[in-house]
Amino acid sequence: MREPVFSVLGIFDSSQQLLDAIPAVKARVSGRLDAYTPYPIHGIDAALGLRKSPIGGMVFVMGLIGAISAVAFELWSEGVDYPLVTGGKPIFSWQAFVPIMFEVTVLFACFTAGLGMLFLLNRLPFFRHPMLHSKSMPLITRDKFALAVEADGKAIDIDVDAIAAALREAGAQTIEVLEQPAPLGLLSPNFLMRVVLGIGITCFVAGYLTYWGVKLFPVTIPIVHMLDQPRLDPEREDSFFKDGFGMRMPVAGTVPMAELPFTITKQEDAAILANPLPRTESVLKKGQKNFNTYCSVCHGALGNGVPSLTAAYGAKPANLASDSIRQLPDGEIYYVIMRGKNAMPSYAADLSEDERWSVVNYVRVLQRALNAKDSDIPQEAQK
Amino acid sequence: MSESGVTKVFTLGAAAGLVGVLATGFAAGWERFWVNWILWILYVLTVGLGSFFLVVLEHVVGAKWSVPLRRVPERLSSLILPMGPALLLALLALPVLYPWTRPGSHDNPIIAGKAVWLNVPFFVARVAACIGLWLLAYRILVSGSIRQDREADVRFNVRARRVAPVFMVVFGVTITIVAFDWIAGLEPTWYSDVFGVYIFAGTFLAGLAATTLAVLYLFARGKLPGIRPDHIYNLGGFLFAFTVFWAYIGFAQYLLMWYANMPEEVFWYKERLQGLWGILVLVLAVVHFLVPFLVLIPRDAKTEPKRLVWVAVFILLAHWLDLYWMLFPVLGSGPVFSWPELSFAMFFTFASLLWLRRMMARGAAMPIKDPFLREGLEFRL
Repeated sequence: MREPVFSVLGIFDSSQQLLDAIPAVKARVSGRLDAYTPYPIHGIDAALGLRKSPIGGMVFVMGLIGAISAVAFELWSEGVDYPLVTGGKPIFSWQAFVPIMFEVTVLFACFTAGLGMLFLLNRLPFFRHPMLHSKSMPLITRDKFALAVEADGKAIDIDVDAIAAALREAGAQTIEVLEQPAPLGLLSPNFLMRVVLGIGITCFVAGYLTYWGVKLFPVTIPIVHMLDQPRLDPEREDSFFKDGFGMRMPVAGTVPMAELPFTITKQEDAAILANPLPRTESVLKKGQKNFNTYCSVCHGALGNGVPSLTAAYGAKPANLASDSIRQLPDGEIYYVIMRGKNAMPSYAADLSEDERWSVVNYVRVLQRALNAKDSDIPQEAQK
Repeated sequence: MSESGVTKVFTLGAAAGLVGVLATGFAAGWERFWVNWILWILYVLTVGLGSFFLVVLEHVVGAKWSVPLRRVPERLSSLILPMGPALLLALLALPVLYPWTRPGSHDNPIIAGKAVWLNVPFFVARVAACIGLWLLAYRILVSGSIRQDREADVRFNVRARRVAPVFMVVFGVTITIVAFDWIAGLEPTWYSDVFGVYIFAGTFLAGLAATTLAVLYLFARGKLPGIRPDHIYNLGGFLFAFTVFWAYIGFAQYLLMWYANMPEEVFWYKERLQGLWGILVLVLAVVHFLVPFLVLIPRDAKTEPKRLVWVAVFILLAHWLDLYWMLFPVLGSGPVFSWPELSFAMFFTFASLLWLRRMMARGAAMPIKDPFLREGLEFRL
């Protein structure tokens, strides 16, 4: 029994001879016609009756899919999943979507054109194409033109003699019969493609399962999302230091930034402190805000010692509008804020230097307001 | 219809249009007259310049395929000639339409900053320089080509190859000047760097569409023997590419201005997107880009005369709409279209066709003595 035949080659001297031979051969034999030439020949597609390449349609469809998926993703991410106003533009700003849509369209189209041509239409990887074993190969890549009648894969029984006769009659100089190559076994392109595809699918499935596994069963978390770090949390025990405290006291001699240390220890000595702030509206507003936040709870919003906290709290807060306090210099009031007095704690940590002085100024306003005289009313209003 | 019959119809149409054109100034106001006038001279000029660009491009790159077709864009580029005087006449529109010529306009700091460029003497000088440069290049490249039919002098090709790259630069500068002066100058506070490129894209596309239309007209009547679908395919491919280019540039300008949202830029679009203008610009996007783009995607569409004719006509109409959308909002109203616009369209269309009929008689149907003609005729895809 003869070896299975892959194709019968007729070798021609010129492209014109090849073109002329095609219809003659086509009329006499059945089987797939193909031409092997050193350079592209005009009109050979039509002569061989090759179908129009579907690559254009594929590119169009994939480009359209690219455009639609880009717009859909942008609409979803920008408008639905995480609506974020950017640059004061509306959430659905189609103008901003266009460049990305354009790029994704081009990306899909290019990949389809390149990869589709290589893998779908040219069926790469195609190891050991039978033509590569042809004795005519050196000629065909130089100055000869081959017309091949190929067995169409399944129908291996082609009438070699009839085809050879037809090719010779059509003007072929040489005839060559190419045998069907032996199966490639493990190296077959199909097998390799399946392996690559299998690895890809495995990676995809494994990644997907890991993601959801981690998300749904936190016990098995391999990634701890930065929760578990070697660090000191405030006001927590820690075995690192001998005394067992996580937080440390400042080193002796530490001074706060932007403030000088307050060294006065007696209220009377503070009388020499000069109030650095003018009594402008902005200063008084600041004083009012801080007074209402920190002081009014005990001293009352008017500073008259009638607090919102009532007798439930034992100590009696001072009436800031009383004569004795009105006669205190600014520095002494400042001293009380710094150091506290009787049951009142220090507010040094809560208020900055400026804020303390602004509170002093505001206290002066309250004192005046609670001790108003007739002469304070404008002359016109008195009439 | 007989040849003389066609001429008669064209002449009658142009004459009827001319009556309407003259009546426009007196009955509908000079603003409307001048804005129509500028639209139509720019239209005819850009068709001529776009065709001329195709001629120059062939010389620059040494294209062979277009040699047999070259006479068509060469004749179309003769439309530049009558537009010279028409542009000079349009200088009368300066005090009517161009705000920067009005006294007190320099109180606006932006206009004052542009005073170096936007002043009447320099403006007139630019117009004159542009016309002069175009005529010079026309004389060398087109008249020289027609003279070659008689003299069979190959030195023309050498000279054209030397001059063409220089004119390419001149073309880039002059078309930008046209765009900045005549169109953007209507709203002198506006800024756009890419505007010249946008006008160039429209110009080249209009010239290309006119060339395609004329080639197909002559091809169908057998006046271009030896031309094959392969040649037509190249024209179709060019049209396809440059519809995308036009849309790309037009959208790039819009996108940047929309994003930045700077008052001195964005007002131009605000005027042109309000009310009916907003609908008009959608129509423009459809007829100038979407329809030609989608129609020209399949390979066969680029060789099939019937479809190409429609695309070319579409693009030529869209080019008018493009100019209309850019120019007419300066009248400060919604889109207006009635007898003045129709009269201008009739006058300029028929007058241009009459002019082209005369010009079509000049020289042979192809550059018969061009040494590359044979190679061009043998062109296969």
